[in-house]
Amino acid sequence: MRYRVDLVPLATSLEVERGASLEAALSPHGVEFPCGGAGACRGCRVRVIEGVLAVTPEMEEAFTREELASGWRLACRGRVESALTLEVAQWEMPVLGDDSTFAFEPAEGCGIAIDLGTTTLAAQMLDLETGAILAVKTALNPQAAYGADVMSRVQYAISGGAGRLTAAIREGLGELIRAMPRRESVRLAMLAGNTVMHHMFSGIDVAPLAQAPFQTAAGGERRFTPRELGWDLPDSAVVRFLPCLGGFVGSDILAGILATGIGESNPLSALIDLGTNGEIVVGDGRGLLCASTAAGPAFEAGRIRMGMRAASGAVAHVVARDGRLECRVIGESAPRGICGSGLVDAVAVGLDLGQILPNGRLADGAREFPLVPPVVVTQADIRELQFAKGAIAAGLRLLLKRWGARAGDLGAVHLAGAFGNYLNAESARRIGMLETPASLVRPAGNASLRGVKMALLSPSRRERWIAGIRGRAEHVALASEAGFEETFVNCLAFGMSDRIGI
Amino acid sequence: MPDLYDAILNGQATAAAEATREALAGGAAALELVHSQMVPAMDEVGRRYECEDYFVPELLLAARAMKAALALLRPLLAASGAEPAGRVVIGTVKGDLHDIGKNIVAAMLEGAGFEVADLGADVAPQAFVDAVSAESAQLVCLSALLTVTMPAMKTTVEALAAAGLRGRVKVMVGGAPVTQRYADEIGADGYGENAAAAVAVARLLVAE
Repeated sequence: MRYRVDLVPLATSLEVERGASLEAALSPHGVEFPCGGAGACRGCRVRVIEGVLAVTPEMEEAFTREELASGWRLACRGRVESALTLEVAQWEMPVLGDDSTFAFEPAEGCGIAIDLGTTTLAAQMLDLETGAILAVKTALNPQAAYGADVMSRVQYAISGGAGRLTAAIREGLGELIRAMPRRESVRLAMLAGNTVMHHMFSGIDVAPLAQAPFQTAAGGERRFTPRELGWDLPDSAVVRFLPCLGGFVGSDILAGILATGIGESNPLSALIDLGTNGEIVVGDGRGLLCASTAAGPAFEAGRIRMGMRAASGAVAHVVARDGRLECRVIGESAPRGICGSGLVDAVAVGLDLGQILPNGRLADGAREFPLVPPVVVTQADIRELQFAKGAIAAGLRLLLKRWGARAGDLGAVHLAGAFGNYLNAESARRIGMLETPASLVRPAGNASLRGVKMALLSPSRRERWIAGIRGRAEHVALASEAGFEETFVNCLAFGMSDRIGI
Repeated sequence: MPDLYDAILNGQATAAAEATREALAGGAAALELVHSQMVPAMDEVGRRYECEDYFVPELLLAARAMKAALALLRPLLAASGAEPAGRVVIGTVKGDLHDIGKNIVAAMLEGAGFEVADLGADVAPQAFVDAVSAESAQLVCLSALLTVTMPAMKTTVEALAAAGLRGRVKVMVGGAPVTQRYADEIGADGYGENAAAAVAVARLLVAE
């Protein structure tokens, strides 16, 4: 039995299996779940216009009685038991989050904000006069057919596939745009993405990114006409790909810095984008240091025996209660694998239960750590996670050292990307990936897209913002930093220091 | 006081140096310590890594302990005219900065009694050629961690051939993206799947 769910204000409609979770249904359509679906924030709130969505205890916590009566619900806690028409709150606000610097300035026409991710594309059509979101579109990056991560795409490009990669991404985004309303009013489209995406979209040779020192001289802003991209937009519209910061750190991080405000923050803050290529920024009002680090695919559950993306059937969270494991599985289906957040939780719980030793070895010579049949974490999976979290922890430590600060000096750590929403900050700390108290860890969602929207909606400020961040951000090549190997190796183990005395 | 074997296996550098000093003071010969303690300890470290008991930090700690002992033994070995198990030149190829894996292999080879000249990371083909000539090396080990830098292995093998050295030096390649197939493709003589395997392959290649 399937029900129709209509989403306003964007007139998106979908068919959803009866009893299915709204989170799983809405997530592919670009709705963000800032606290990872834990029911802890109100970021995913929807108002029921037609149909029935049961009130749960979390919703009673989150809303006043009046709000509940007027139909407000948490999408992450909702199950589809009837046909529904829902108003999605985050689609009514152009920018989500704690962006204090943001002030909307009305301008004529429409604009398109695009986050060009290695894995996912996200685009929003905005009415520049009202700030209203007119359309939200997401898709997988069509370049994925030529390699999952940036390095394999670089490999494909330098082996003669560069033209195909450029064509694929331009066409892929062109299709998203073709599905949007009010195209004829578009004045400006702005894109952000990492340096490899910037080069591939722009048709620039990626060879300098294929070998040490992994620096490009062509990382500046690029402008295009819709005609040269084959996009169905007015000839007068301008397409801008925002400038890179250095190395693999691109305008997605520039936009993330803008969205999270860490370039103006006091005290020192960090922004971490957790992916196969992890990007790390630390900074405050005085300056910014950024770096990228090859974390490998463990956070996306790549090279994990039962790894899968965060989709139905994935173990997404694990806790221990009275020494027994409790697994939260996405969707209603039976467990069939584990996603990145589940892996981090599982290892944290394994450490707490003494089933995983501080050096990463499974206790008593075990080869597997069983979670819920048939899902297990293997010894090799734990090793993969050690590499991934070691790369992030070491990168952050090295940047802080360069800054002359320590982990304890950080006032906030913003985690960008979908994984940042789902990651349990306590578990991240338990496995030694972050050394910051969980209370200071902030999921930042798609900070890149948010930053691009802020730039689009603040015409008089945006050039100063972009030039300011680009001017103040210093790129650090981690592998050439003194003490890199020592730091990385020290970060591979699951530290015990914060457990002593607890 | 643990013996040298245990100190290396447990990654205790100070204890390894201490045990070495004590054994030497007690009249043990340097070469005897290498063969009866150091080499078996590093072989056991490699075995434990292969069965996933040890991980990178344990390998590096064991290597550090081994090096602490070797620093004391080396002058004695040289003075006694003892021949190493073989002479090796090792480095991470041009364009690639990753050298932790290469450092581990270098240490494992050293622990197995080889004399190792480590050229570091981002090493140009010509630098390999020069070192092979200068060290009269029997084996050159090339490491790469990125698919995009693997072609530099091929360039290096070609440079060795062009310098007329391919007849007297064996080439072993390794690193996460490298495979036996790739080794065959570029005309390398051997492929080390991991640090422990690299030692076994090095022994075979040098014995040939």
